[in-house]
Amino acid sequence: MKLAASAILLIALLQSPASAVGSEPGIAITGARVHTLAAAGTLEDATVLVRDGRIESVLTGEPVPDGYAVVEAAGKVVTPGLIESDSSLALVEIGGELTTVDSLVTEYPSGAAFDVRHALNPAAVALAVNRRDGVTAAVTAPTPGNDPFAGWGAVVRLGGDPLLVEPEVALFASIGAGSAVFTGGSRAAVIQRMRRGLQMAGTYRQNRYRPGPGDFSHQDLAALQRFRRSGAPLAVTVDRAGAILEALALAAEFDLDLIVIGGAEAWQVADRLAEAQVPVVVNVLANLPSSYDRLLARHDNAALLHEAGVTVTFTASDANNVRKIRQMAGNAVAHGMPWDAALAAITRAPGSVWGLPDGTGTLAEGAPADLVIWSGDPLEITEWAEAVMIGGAWQDMSSRQTRLFDRYRDPADPDRWYR
Amino acid sequence: MRPGTLSGGGLALLLLAAAGPLHARAPYESTYEPRATEPLLIRGATVLTGTGARLDGADVRLADGRITAVGQSLAAEQARVVDGEGRWLTPGIIDVHSHLGNYPSPAIASTQDGNEMTGPNAAHVWAEHSVWPQDPQFPLALAGGVTTLQILPGSGNLFGGRGVTLKNIPARTVQEMKFPGAKQSLKMACGENPKRAYGSRNQPPATRMGNIAGFRAAWAKAQHALEKEAARAVNASADTDDGSAEAPDVPPERDLGVETLVGVLKGEILVHNHCYRADEMAWMIDVASEFGYEIKAFHHAVESYKIADRLAAEGICSAMWADWWGFKLEAFDGITENVALVDEAGACAIVHSDSATGIQHLNQEAAKAMAAARRQGMAVDEARAIAWITLNAARALEIDAETGSIEVGKAADLVLWSGNPFSVYSRADLVLIDGHPYYDRPAGVRPVTDFELEQTVNGGGE
Repeated sequence: MKLAASAILLIALLQSPASAVGSEPGIAITGARVHTLAAAGTLEDATVLVRDGRIESVLTGEPVPDGYAVVEAAGKVVTPGLIESDSSLALVEIGGELTTVDSLVTEYPSGAAFDVRHALNPAAVALAVNRRDGVTAAVTAPTPGNDPFAGWGAVVRLGGDPLLVEPEVALFASIGAGSAVFTGGSRAAVIQRMRRGLQMAGTYRQNRYRPGPGDFSHQDLAALQRFRRSGAPLAVTVDRAGAILEALALAAEFDLDLIVIGGAEAWQVADRLAEAQVPVVVNVLANLPSSYDRLLARHDNAALLHEAGVTVTFTASDANNVRKIRQMAGNAVAHGMPWDAALAAITRAPGSVWGLPDGTGTLAEGAPADLVIWSGDPLEITEWAEAVMIGGAWQDMSSRQTRLFDRYRDPADPDRWYR
Repeated sequence: MRPGTLSGGGLALLLLAAAGPLHARAPYESTYEPRATEPLLIRGATVLTGTGARLDGADVRLADGRITAVGQSLAAEQARVVDGEGRWLTPGIIDVHSHLGNYPSPAIASTQDGNEMTGPNAAHVWAEHSVWPQDPQFPLALAGGVTTLQILPGSGNLFGGRGVTLKNIPARTVQEMKFPGAKQSLKMACGENPKRAYGSRNQPPATRMGNIAGFRAAWAKAQHALEKEAARAVNASADTDDGSAEAPDVPPERDLGVETLVGVLKGEILVHNHCYRADEMAWMIDVASEFGYEIKAFHHAVESYKIADRLAAEGICSAMWADWWGFKLEAFDGITENVALVDEAGACAIVHSDSATGIQHLNQEAAKAMAAARRQGMAVDEARAIAWITLNAARALEIDAETGSIEVGKAADLVLWSGNPFSVYSRADLVLIDGHPYYDRPAGVRPVTDFELEQTVNGGGE
């Protein structure tokens, strides 16, 4: 038996938001194949019980207990909500319109002191657009401005209030020809500046420091000091294999948790990354030798990293189109990554890599109830999300784009255009 | 005697008499030579013909670079049999909007040759003169099943210059890649790009009305040149008729930009018009009507769905993305159902890439556009959607008599996929251009450009 998404929504509308602890009826999603991404693995004809915004349990072969609103999902597939690992969602509305771009600063405060959390836009149109395609959370990060340290990124959710899930999930930086522009042209100078900043942050005191031209500002050193004390990871956009090793050395020297973003040539140093337990955020489709930092880019980078034991997550490297992470995962499978690992790379793995609350990206007991009911194989681009739940609440599946579709479904009907 | 001392007519005579075949062709013409091929019978594949049909378990026979038979249980005759069971066969993928070769990888200053932004009317430049045939992106596109692609100049100008249609083959020169007989195109661009590029320099155009004025002024000049040419032809024949001995005038000095626009007015060059917004497309249709030319396709046409009825009536193709949107205001109304809505309205719908990444999986882009429509309850199947990246694209380039579908007599430009090409898990196994297997994944056959040697993974770098 099939249940249309509209019917699921109808059920959702009968509920009030799952806020009053203990007083709400639970939700039981029955009959689907459920990928828990947790110890229970993948279960057929399973029942997912949700209560108070959390996964209560996932059952098989048992009747639905009383007190649950049942959503029949036979023939469907349930997964945790998808998580994008490196976007500028809710920071950039229109990339070409600078008044809507808050991911980038080229003047003060441009380095480690920059924190995107203060510009997150809960009205961003892209939130509903991407939520409709099963994305429930995203890392949103600064773009390098004029320092190898770009600033602090955050994690947002694509439905519910507040938008911000976790601030300061990592300090972002970049090593490559792009950031070498800020340091006089050499990648070596990038490493030197990063090392100097981290060293100085160790002993920085406001009243004993007088920055000269080109030195770190007070704000940036204070931020680097806070970073070193926080234990937050350093997320470095870096593609070239040699530069990745430099980043590993830096992380070892300062006892930092490192996350590699991009990592086009990471497959070359996969064993070293695995040994250091450094995860890599891969754009699976970015296989072009498009710069001298990434001449050895390849389509099966994710598969090779996974095989070596590296934790991999995916990014669509975009603001408005983070929904493409599902296509990334499918392509990773087409190029040799096991299907389960590719699904994990857009669910469980980002939850752990970015230090999100326990269970995020899984359907383990007690995990936040962020999940998607799919029409079929969630990694297959011809299937789609039929219902999306964030924090235990079913989400509105319309967006500005579905409204445009409705207006122009029959383009010759003028009565539809202005409603 | 040095040829330079001869008049043009004398030079031509000399060349014809003495120089041999190297100079017998017109300058800039294609020197493409089909490679020798082996007769093949692809047996038992699911065939999407590009013309709307799906043939299950069908056979396709090829000889001498052409499709010679399509049917069930064909005799192999002398052909080598390729097992297509479980695999899908489609026409070669055609991308109507690419910058491979003129925006190659690596994307460094010394290679970025796609946009002659030194004045808003660059109708005099030809994209083919910027194409670097050693761009490593060509073999990557081939691995995605792309057999033919149009290389366009960029969109910073009102008139970007002439585009060229290439076969995606490894070659030493661009002429060797040029699709024989394919017309050149004229790239025009509406909207934000030209007005931003020049308005920011305090040069015209600075506004959308400046854009339209710039188009019209150039077309008026070309129209005048065409009228003068016609008048000269009349005068020349009148001179002959009355037997007057007066020598004909020396023709006016050539204006390369005007030549391009005149070529459009004569129907020798096809207009491909970058235009996002529906209202601007409507203005461009008026400009075309004023000066009497056709628009073959609007590119990046994210708002075509708003005027799909109008585009169907005008016979103008729309080249669209599956889901890219919002990167600038004129792309903000992009919706994933655009392609299917245009198709359903009876207009020519094309999925294009404008991207060296996207061109590698145009099958997936078409699949996403198909799925978005199905999700809304629209009836679209693979047999129909494959035309978005094959036959409809060929129509926009006016090469549909030669390629773009699986029909007897057409070029054997084909892709044998490991499975349904609308599945994310499928990959091109075999890519044939004029029957030659330039890419054969199971056999490890793929081109490697000079640049790649010891530098990229494809070139053996490590």
